[in-house]
Amino acid sequence: MDDLLNDFLAETSEHIEAAGEQLVLFERDPTDREAIVRIFRLFHTIKGTCGFLGLSRLEHLTHVTESLISKLRAGAPATAETVSLTLAAVDRVKNILAALAETGKEPEGDDQDLIAALRTHAGASGSPQEPEQAAPAPAAVAPDKAERDKAQAPPKENLAPAVHAPAQARPETIRVSVSALERIMLLVSELVLTRNQLLEITRHQDDAIIKTPLQRLSSLTTDLQDAVMRARMQSVGRLFTSLPRLVRELAVELKKKLHLATEGADTELDRQLIELIRDPLTHLLRNCADHGIEPPAERLALGKPEEGTIRVTATHEAGYITIDVSDDGRGLDLQKIRDKAVAKGLASANDVKELSDDEVGRFIFAPDFSTAAAVTSISGRGVGMDIVRDNIESIGGAISLTTVPGKGTRFTLKIPLTLAITPALIVEAYGHRFALPQHSVVEAVGLGETGAHTLEDLQGSLVLRLREEILPVVALSSILEIDSGSRATSGDLVIVMRVNNRAFGVLVDAVTDVQEIVVKPLGSSLSELEVFSGHTILGDGSVVLILDPTGIAGRMGFERANDYTGGRVVENFTPTDETTRFVLFRAGPGALKALPLSLIVRIESIPAADIRTSDGLMVVQHQSHLMPLVPLYSATEAPLQTTNPVLVLGVGGESMGLLIEQIIDVVEARLTIEIASTSPGVIGTAEIRGEIAEVLDATYFMQLGRPNAYSRGVAHQFHVLLVDDKPFFRDMLAPLIIAAGYRVNTAASAAEALTMFEKGARFDAVVTDTDMPQMSGYELARRLMREPRHRDLPIVALAAHAAPTILQAAHESGMYGAVGKFDRPALIKMLSEVLEVRQLHKHDLEKTVIGSAAA
Amino acid sequence: MTQISTQRLNPAANAGSEKARTQCFIVFVGGEAFGLPVDSVQTIFGIEAVTPVPLGPREIIGLVNLRGKIVTAVSLRRRLNLPEPVESRSTLAVGMDHRGENFALVVDEVGDVIHLDPEAEILLPPHLGERRAKFTKAAYRLDTGILSLLNVSAIFDFPRHL
Repeated sequence: MDDLLNDFLAETSEHIEAAGEQLVLFERDPTDREAIVRIFRLFHTIKGTCGFLGLSRLEHLTHVTESLISKLRAGAPATAETVSLTLAAVDRVKNILAALAETGKEPEGDDQDLIAALRTHAGASGSPQEPEQAAPAPAAVAPDKAERDKAQAPPKENLAPAVHAPAQARPETIRVSVSALERIMLLVSELVLTRNQLLEITRHQDDAIIKTPLQRLSSLTTDLQDAVMRARMQSVGRLFTSLPRLVRELAVELKKKLHLATEGADTELDRQLIELIRDPLTHLLRNCADHGIEPPAERLALGKPEEGTIRVTATHEAGYITIDVSDDGRGLDLQKIRDKAVAKGLASANDVKELSDDEVGRFIFAPDFSTAAAVTSISGRGVGMDIVRDNIESIGGAISLTTVPGKGTRFTLKIPLTLAITPALIVEAYGHRFALPQHSVVEAVGLGETGAHTLEDLQGSLVLRLREEILPVVALSSILEIDSGSRATSGDLVIVMRVNNRAFGVLVDAVTDVQEIVVKPLGSSLSELEVFSGHTILGDGSVVLILDPTGIAGRMGFERANDYTGGRVVENFTPTDETTRFVLFRAGPGALKALPLSLIVRIESIPAADIRTSDGLMVVQHQSHLMPLVPLYSATEAPLQTTNPVLVLGVGGESMGLLIEQIIDVVEARLTIEIASTSPGVIGTAEIRGEIAEVLDATYFMQLGRPNAYSRGVAHQFHVLLVDDKPFFRDMLAPLIIAAGYRVNTAASAAEALTMFEKGARFDAVVTDTDMPQMSGYELARRLMREPRHRDLPIVALAAHAAPTILQAAHESGMYGAVGKFDRPALIKMLSEVLEVRQLHKHDLEKTVIGSAAA
Repeated sequence: MTQISTQRLNPAANAGSEKARTQCFIVFVGGEAFGLPVDSVQTIFGIEAVTPVPLGPREIIGLVNLRGKIVTAVSLRRRLNLPEPVESRSTLAVGMDHRGENFALVVDEVGDVIHLDPEAEILLPPHLGERRAKFTKAAYRLDTGILSLLNVSAIFDFPRHL
């Protein structure tokens, strides 16, 4: 891409960002003539430059937008509609610029939709000085570069000052490309490494001739590193510029009055981090607007100003910046959160009573913990506060909140200034060295004769009694599955870490060093290893992997749901309340309907045009066959919509659909049937999350939709053997497999499973735990595979995680595949995959038999 | 070891098809010869210290410091599912780039650079194992036998499982 285009992109991208903000300011205060003048100039500049560069699409779009803005400039009222339209144009320009930056060419397509709308608005008093350009210069015909440079020079000088209209005394700046900065950063990182290497070499020497200049080199390197880091810093104001627009859109969408106040826009942060906190910040703002701030009428009734305020402030503290996002809304509904925490089994009813308000508030960071009574498009599903927390923690930051009922909620983000260089412990396990970033390390505790602490064995798991706390401990070598070889287990040191407010220990052989490491991300081939966050080169030139404390905690099997018990080990693991996930939906008038999510294979939306009636049954062409549909409401109750949500059920390997009106939510609830029903197809009426819902009887509809498959399904159901030594998993998984339409037997060990086969039991598939005492699942698979009659028996491995190593081992022992124990959909999908293949074979066989019989 | 002779393209074929002309670098693993597109090869070096990656794919031997750069060392032998040799493991590696990542392909021996005549390209035999087929871009008939040209991006692409 040539320099000219680069300059244009760099300059325009910056200003277009500002334009959106200016526009919103202008809408709030239409007397701010300067704002509209600036926007006008900006569009004018882009239009002009596009002409030079032969960017016809952009030129055309900015030209029409300019016409509309010129109307505003001339005093036309800035209606919400015109502002929205102009913002849409700003967006379109941004998109085109992005594509330009990527490909060097304008993307295909035109903007007729937008241009037409813009023109209609500008058109009423469409100024005659804006004649339509019949044919803008085609992009290909661009003057030769030297000429363009010449031609470009004068307008640049003329227009640039105009864009920076409020000329302030600014420090002199030059534009440096990010890649140049990145390159300098990289070189400095290498320099730091080389310096460390030198220090390592001279550590044991007392030669003053080398020592003194080396000291000097060392401190200069540190200064240089600091200076470069600063050069990469950008003000968070860059992040703030997009917020006014977001708040404006939220206000329109939610029909609330919102005011945004920002402070500390000049606080500086590494540019990489600025991009990384953009999404979490946006989400927090949405939350404040959606859940925090009350509707205007409610606010007035409470004696609050009608307009709610969202405040975003950034401040700088040693090594960190703090970003606060607060609102003056209703605060979190703590009682509701307490109830939900108990319902979800995150804490006992007694525990929640003892927790402080802020501690209760922290529950909203638990996975799938949404407090919204209704799912809205604003803070909707999909992105929860748990994701926000994950994002912040993944960059070494922290999030906390305080809430006062009736007064508002404040989220506080603590973000490190940079990601690039961090102090780390170098730890050793069985001769392997790893770097452990210091930010999550709490302390190192010596064991055995040297230390005062000892590890205790709790049913095969290690725990460390440290002061009042009992910490779970795991050996680094076992987490990483490092082969101990002939060495005896040593492990003299427990590194205590704290992740998500939960403390745990990792047993290592030694801490060999503390170094400043330059974090380099792992390549894509290794990036899926959750226990490592990157790699680095140490002073001695060796490569080490950087451990990720969050990943280790995950691999230790900590359910994040238990975060809130501090460091305490949860003593009893028995699930107290059985809850089921229900799909709550509307079909016909009357109460909402509910079906257990486990019965639903998938949810589809089917256009009305695809639904046919055949033999009195509704059907839809699905993949290569017809799928029967059972409508859960009659046509007299509600007409078909253009697209209709359909819940797909699996019946003995075949599928059928339930036609419904609208999916309301997926909720987790304890099912208590309040009123048993006598009408067919309904099990009873239950209260699910405060709503009265009819719980449907899926088997009734299966009989309706697939009478043959249903009856045949009962007779010829696929038979699955589930092998797991833990009753908990047998109890959890067996019903799931049954619900998917299979028959299930369970075995508590590999030996028991083998005995079943020896006694002549026949199964269509085996699902086995990998990690069992006496005989592992792999060995079971190998033994089964040895016998020719089991050659085609599909075996699926169940592991804590479907890690690549496990998959590899599974394949090597002849298994079909591996799935995570908690990954229900994957298990069901894999089962139907292996079994449907067999069914197809059966069908083929049937066809051949019938075919030959006919002949 | 390298008996594969350098094939000269005949001038007629060269005239019209500059694109089709392929230069390839020969490497050996398990006694078999394989070709690597010559423009993908950056350097040949001996691996000294390897940092193994626990929990990583079996084919990844580990991480290597190559003049200040961290390089992921992949065993071609393991990638092609060839049996591990009884004697000591090879430390000879071909430095290559793939999608901005630095890789080292560990091989037994390296050979010459040869020109491949596009007309000598043959269809891959259908009974080539699935794994082999994935890693083979094309096969060429040479005077001394048949040479497989490796598909570099498939070799360095490790699928994500989760």
